[in-house]
Amino acid sequence: MDTILNPFLLYGLIALGAIGVCIALPRRKGGPQIFGALIAAAAGGLAVAFLTLKAGKDFPNVYFYIFSGVALGAALRVITHPRPVYAALYFILTIIATAGLFLILSAEFMAFALVIVYAGAILITYLFVIMLATQAPEEDEIEVLTDYDASAREPIAATVVGFLLLAVLTTLLFRGVNQLPPIPINRTDGLLADMPRKVDRVLRNHGVLNEGQTAKVILTDDGRLEAIQISANDGADVFALPRDQWPAELPVKNVEALGFNLLRDHPGTIEIAGVILLMAMLGAVVLSRKQVQLDEDAKLKQARLLSDDVEGNEGTAAAQTPSFARPTGGIPR
Amino acid sequence: MMTHFLAQTGFPEPMAAITLAHYLFVSAVMFILGIIGFISRRNLIIMFLCTELMFQAAGIALVAFGRYHLNFTGQTFVIFVLTVAAAEAAMGLALVVLLFRRKESLDAQVWKDMKG
Repeated sequence: MDTILNPFLLYGLIALGAIGVCIALPRRKGGPQIFGALIAAAAGGLAVAFLTLKAGKDFPNVYFYIFSGVALGAALRVITHPRPVYAALYFILTIIATAGLFLILSAEFMAFALVIVYAGAILITYLFVIMLATQAPEEDEIEVLTDYDASAREPIAATVVGFLLLAVLTTLLFRGVNQLPPIPINRTDGLLADMPRKVDRVLRNHGVLNEGQTAKVILTDDGRLEAIQISANDGADVFALPRDQWPAELPVKNVEALGFNLLRDHPGTIEIAGVILLMAMLGAVVLSRKQVQLDEDAKLKQARLLSDDVEGNEGTAAAQTPSFARPTGGIPR
Repeated sequence: MMTHFLAQTGFPEPMAAITLAHYLFVSAVMFILGIIGFISRRNLIIMFLCTELMFQAAGIALVAFGRYHLNFTGQTFVIFVLTVAAAEAAMGLALVVLLFRRKESLDAQVWKDMKG
């Protein structure tokens, strides 16, 4: 625990990053977006590098830098890319890199859940809506960016506000940096007491437990594992199985520990999540069922198209002429 | 698990020299990028994408804190962040489609007459 990063250095880098992001935001006339991105990347990289110089003496962890660099670079591209489809695709890249960060934090289940739920479900919904909610270009017109995609609103004010908040948030760095403690190898072994059938099955499959023997998990008073005792069915021949002779499947996995935490330590939360999702589904259905109030012209147009469908091909020539004269008849009642 | 697997294949120890502050810094920067995008972009869909960016940043911070305190509550909470993000995406995108059908535009500025 030592103080870290000269404040002037840190705030200088934050200001540099702000300038970079501000330049990188899309402008109407186009501009040196790529230089802005480079400046921002340099500032972020320097900040993390100084953090590392202060924090550790060992060779730094390569994976953290790869994943966080990809995640932040893609995040910058999400907010600077003028085309929404590309922004969504870059967001998928951010998610995958974040899943990598979760893996090195040994949160395996969350990494996979993130990829499946976010990249697999939520982002596909986004892509569908992007496809739905863009005007098709006219046939002879080259596709151009709409004005609201091509230019940012108040880029300077937005970056100033954002990076002021970042400066406030990073004051926590002055409190010193704590190393992440190594995960004790027996952190979750106590949960084995709740899984007697798994212990029995794994030990039997690996031939540790023979016919006529039973395994019993003994806990200390504070819920930690004391030993796995193997004894004959009648209670004779008791001995403890040392940890280095455990089969590889026996230690509690991340998913199992997470499941116990979710369902035993926080009971009822799954049900609440289910209610939230149900309400969201109902809300989405109700919202998208709602009829849009069309104005008079659009109504007439639709009615004419309908009547043409009813009457067959004879009305198609009239439908193509862009006049808004009231149709003489054939509107279905 | 994953870390053990990497160690067996001769990679350097993945947890070496990374502090909690590293993760919090990455999380803070990602959150800030989300805020800047939300304020400055005018496309409704991209504004929603930026809220998802902020959810991601919160998730990183939660998992890092859970790892720091050696418990699973942070990861459990990320499940709820995912739930809320999914609910928000469903509702928000339904709204976006509705708004687009009204004005044939995704520009947030089109709706500025709604401000009181």
